[in-house]
Amino acid sequence: MPKITFNLNNKDITITTAYNRRLLDVLREELGLTGTKEGCAIGECGACTVLLNDQAVNSCLLLIGQVEGQNVLTIEGLSTKGELHPVQKKFLKHGAVQCGFCTPGMILSAHALLHKNPSPKEEEVKEAITGNLCRCTGYKQIIDAVMDVTKG
Amino acid sequence: MIPELQFSRPKTIREALNLLATPGQNNRILAGGTDVITGIQMGSKRFSRIDLLIDINQIPELKTITENKAHIIIGGNVTFTELIENPIARQKLPLLVKAASTVGNLQIRNRATLTGNFVNNAPCADSVPPLLVYDALIKIESQNSGRELPLQDFLTGTYKTLIKPNELVTEIRIPKADTELRGDFYKLGRRKSVAISRISLAVLAQIEEDKIKEIRIASGAVTPIGERFPDLEKWANGQKISDELLKLLAKKMAEKITKANGLRWSSTYKIPVLQQTFYQLLKKVTD
Repeated sequence: MPKITFNLNNKDITITTAYNRRLLDVLREELGLTGTKEGCAIGECGACTVLLNDQAVNSCLLLIGQVEGQNVLTIEGLSTKGELHPVQKKFLKHGAVQCGFCTPGMILSAHALLHKNPSPKEEEVKEAITGNLCRCTGYKQIIDAVMDVTKG
Repeated sequence: MIPELQFSRPKTIREALNLLATPGQNNRILAGGTDVITGIQMGSKRFSRIDLLIDINQIPELKTITENKAHIIIGGNVTFTELIENPIARQKLPLLVKAASTVGNLQIRNRATLTGNFVNNAPCADSVPPLLVYDALIKIESQNSGRELPLQDFLTGTYKTLIKPNELVTEIRIPKADTELRGDFYKLGRRKSVAISRISLAVLAQIEEDKIKEIRIASGAVTPIGERFPDLEKWANGQKISDELLKLLAKKMAEKITKANGLRWSSTYKIPVLQQTFYQLLKKVTD
């Protein structure tokens, strides 16, 4: 089986796995990083969102071979030294989590937006999370949380 | 579940073409993966029994957007996000940028490519109507040959094109217009985002004083594939712009599509909406 090396959550790792594995499968089943969720598996729900070279992508649509040499960030890589990331803190503050299934993807999409555009307008926040479905329909709290991050 | 397959990541077009020419097996190009991976995942017949997936994402030559005197040249692996953020595209291909902005959602646009959109050739491919009104040409290469042809000729039927198993689309070439063209793109989906087009329309026109000097019309989703309307264009060219003319043109368009598709369960909704939205689009472009 091929060896694949990539940067995961700011650490270089090498795994041995088959080419028919999706990044999502490897994260959840081989690396135990179950923060990344599988929802629709066809790129519509965004539950499996990770950042690939700082861009939000669906990990259900990436084969593991495609991340060779790339940088991948999952929800587990967001906090530093046990302290939550500012986006995570604001999600807690605003009660932007109900069942929690969409939350990792939502937070990573928000993080990707803020990385590119530190002071987005509300419309831009909405646009950035169009690929993340929340079936508890807590969008208002989520948008409020992201907007609050921009206020520091 | 994705069946076992081989995977390769060439670094040059040449290397990709050599891999595509590997005999005796089913070789497929992997670009954004938003159709290919989902197709394999769902067991779609169009993506069954693939032996080798050739990931073209490490080929820098396919990622550029450039222009020369005559053309704007878009590399064969430019994503929708790359297109939307590109200054040349934003300035010179506004209809295409507008259509690209309506594709899927951000995660999809970050991966899905313009070329993949028309090589897959779903009826609802959002980039097709704008590319057709821009008279886009495509460059196709294989290990031993190359050809250039109009996109319109390349698209032959729903999910069907003229591409051969050993070929790769390496460029989209859009001729620069020597006069000012005005146009717009319209998409109707069931919701604002992550929506499959129900109706898509693109219009590009050269207006001279109060006349339509030249008009180009294309549709998607309401026709089996994205297509142009040469008869309607010919009929409208040279005509004086009036509200009556635009209404008549919209009526002719609706009749043409009804004739092409036959009556369907959705026709009672779609045809009047199509006629009205096309009229509004014409009004905007000729205003």
